[in-house]
Amino acid sequence: MLRQLFQTNPTLSLTKASMRIWFRDRQAIFWTFFLPLVLISVFGLLDFGAFRTVDLGIVDRANNDASQKLIADVRALGTFDISDDLSEEEEREALLDGDRNLLLIIEPGFGEGQSPAQRRVTVIYNQGEPQESAAGQTIIQHLLDKITFAEGNISDRYKIDASPVDSRNLRFIDFLMPGVVAMSIMQMGLFSVAFSFVQLKSRGVLRRLKATPVLPASFIFAQVFTRLTISILQTLVLVGLAVLAFDVHLEGNLGVMVLLALLGGGVFISMGFAVSGWAGTEDVAAPVANAIALPMMFLSGVFFPRDAMPEPLRAVADFLPLSYLADALRNVAVDGASLWSQWENVLGLTVWLVVTFFIAVRLFRWE
Amino acid sequence: MIHHAEIIQVNDLRKSYGDLKAVDGVSFSVSAGEVFGILGPNGAGKTTTVEILEGMRAQDSGSAIVNGIDVQKDPRAVKKVIGIQLQSSAFFDRLSLTEILDVMASLYHRKIDALELLREVELDDRAGALFKELSGGQKQRFSVASTLVNDPILLFLDEPTTGLDPQARRHMWALVQRFKSEGRTVLLTTHYMEEAEELCDRVAIMDHGKIVAMDRPAALVDSLLSKGFKKERTEKLANLEDVFLDITGRELRDE
Repeated sequence: MLRQLFQTNPTLSLTKASMRIWFRDRQAIFWTFFLPLVLISVFGLLDFGAFRTVDLGIVDRANNDASQKLIADVRALGTFDISDDLSEEEEREALLDGDRNLLLIIEPGFGEGQSPAQRRVTVIYNQGEPQESAAGQTIIQHLLDKITFAEGNISDRYKIDASPVDSRNLRFIDFLMPGVVAMSIMQMGLFSVAFSFVQLKSRGVLRRLKATPVLPASFIFAQVFTRLTISILQTLVLVGLAVLAFDVHLEGNLGVMVLLALLGGGVFISMGFAVSGWAGTEDVAAPVANAIALPMMFLSGVFFPRDAMPEPLRAVADFLPLSYLADALRNVAVDGASLWSQWENVLGLTVWLVVTFFIAVRLFRWE
Repeated sequence: MIHHAEIIQVNDLRKSYGDLKAVDGVSFSVSAGEVFGILGPNGAGKTTTVEILEGMRAQDSGSAIVNGIDVQKDPRAVKKVIGIQLQSSAFFDRLSLTEILDVMASLYHRKIDALELLREVELDDRAGALFKELSGGQKQRFSVASTLVNDPILLFLDEPTTGLDPQARRHMWALVQRFKSEGRTVLLTTHYMEEAEELCDRVAIMDHGKIVAMDRPAALVDSLLSKGFKKERTEKLANLEDVFLDITGRELRDE
């Protein structure tokens, strides 16, 4: 029954055909899945260190019970990337080279008596990264306070509450992954539609379809349905890889990410149709699609935060559709934001969808 | 289905592109079961005329009735009962011949035996191939097969043998004759005169957007002879094409 329907219903049969065509196109699969996967893998494997992780070097001059407890406590926090097996000289060198945010030096006799010298640690910090350094100092001070406070009551001494500082280690890949998902959806929607449609048009396939009683809506539905399905697949595959292989912590709801992918997919598919409606040949469609995609790739905060941009550029970049999509996906993935809290980004995407859809309809040509 | 004695009725059809009058007052009719040829040099208006009849293009004025349906008013209804072979056909990439035919059939809400259809045009051994892998003659035959998915009562063939070698051309002729024997009406355009003589019951000769002569091929030849026309060299009983086919055989060459 269902099989029969897929065989004799023009819309379903065209959808099945367009899925088949897409999944047999190795080049499309490469650009849509393989390239973003490589991108995520490269940034996942090469640890670009640290985006907001605090690197702490420890030199234990005291080497007594108290110092070892303190080091154990610091380690137990899991907040720092700790190095404690180098000499003091090597650690100072590493700090100067920018490989450390902080160097903690535990003075001899630490914790052995009541004199100020015995209750003191030295912290040398990297001025160039004030946030990380300040956060590190706060945490260490907090640990010391605990020790001080606990000295009357030994049983409390080893217990450390969760750090009051936001200790989530946001690595570059955590930031990058949602951006790459957004970018892949853009590339797929824009290029896959623009190219395949212009190709079908210039080679006369659409003319051949026009010679049959098929309704244009059936054909367009098939194209759009195929691309939206692929947007969802992209999201699932890329998020899946990041979570499984690179330990990216997904805070938000995957279903919300899929909904955002559908909305973003719709915007870029409409853009693809607009480009292919306007361009007669692949030679025209390619540069036009690139001229739209490339600036967005660099301005929309896919690879680095838009905060880094000069203010006037940022004012423009904030309104790009890829910015809305990347921001919304990132807020959901990294901060666990709800769909509702992303209403501004959703509104931005919706406005873009209406605008691009209108342009696509105006520019659309069968021949 | 109602079979009208006159399956195509064209009355004073006109179509201009800017200053160019591509179709300039064309009238003719075609009976059901007839093979009707429109002949003419390139740019005579053949293709434009045919495209208006197919519902692919709208006329400026005049009427075109196909199978009792006004083409301009309901092109989809016309497209449902006709088969259209375009001058240069293209199909989806990355689908096999049978897959393409299945999709084409679905556009008419039909399910067909694609392999059987391919067998009719001697392409069953290429069923799994892609369209772009076919030779010129095979492409043309596949294109004809694709017009048969809805079992049309009327077939439009636009220059079906242009660019084909003599073997492939004869094979296409045999196909057209079979369509006629199956009771289908065929309207074809060509600029090969021997093709028209071989296949067509009647022909219309077009030039500059007008029909300048219309009759049975033999009648047109007779009327020319009656004006005292004589070829400078008397026709031999065979020509170079007969020699070519005698030497190379009539089997299809598709490698």
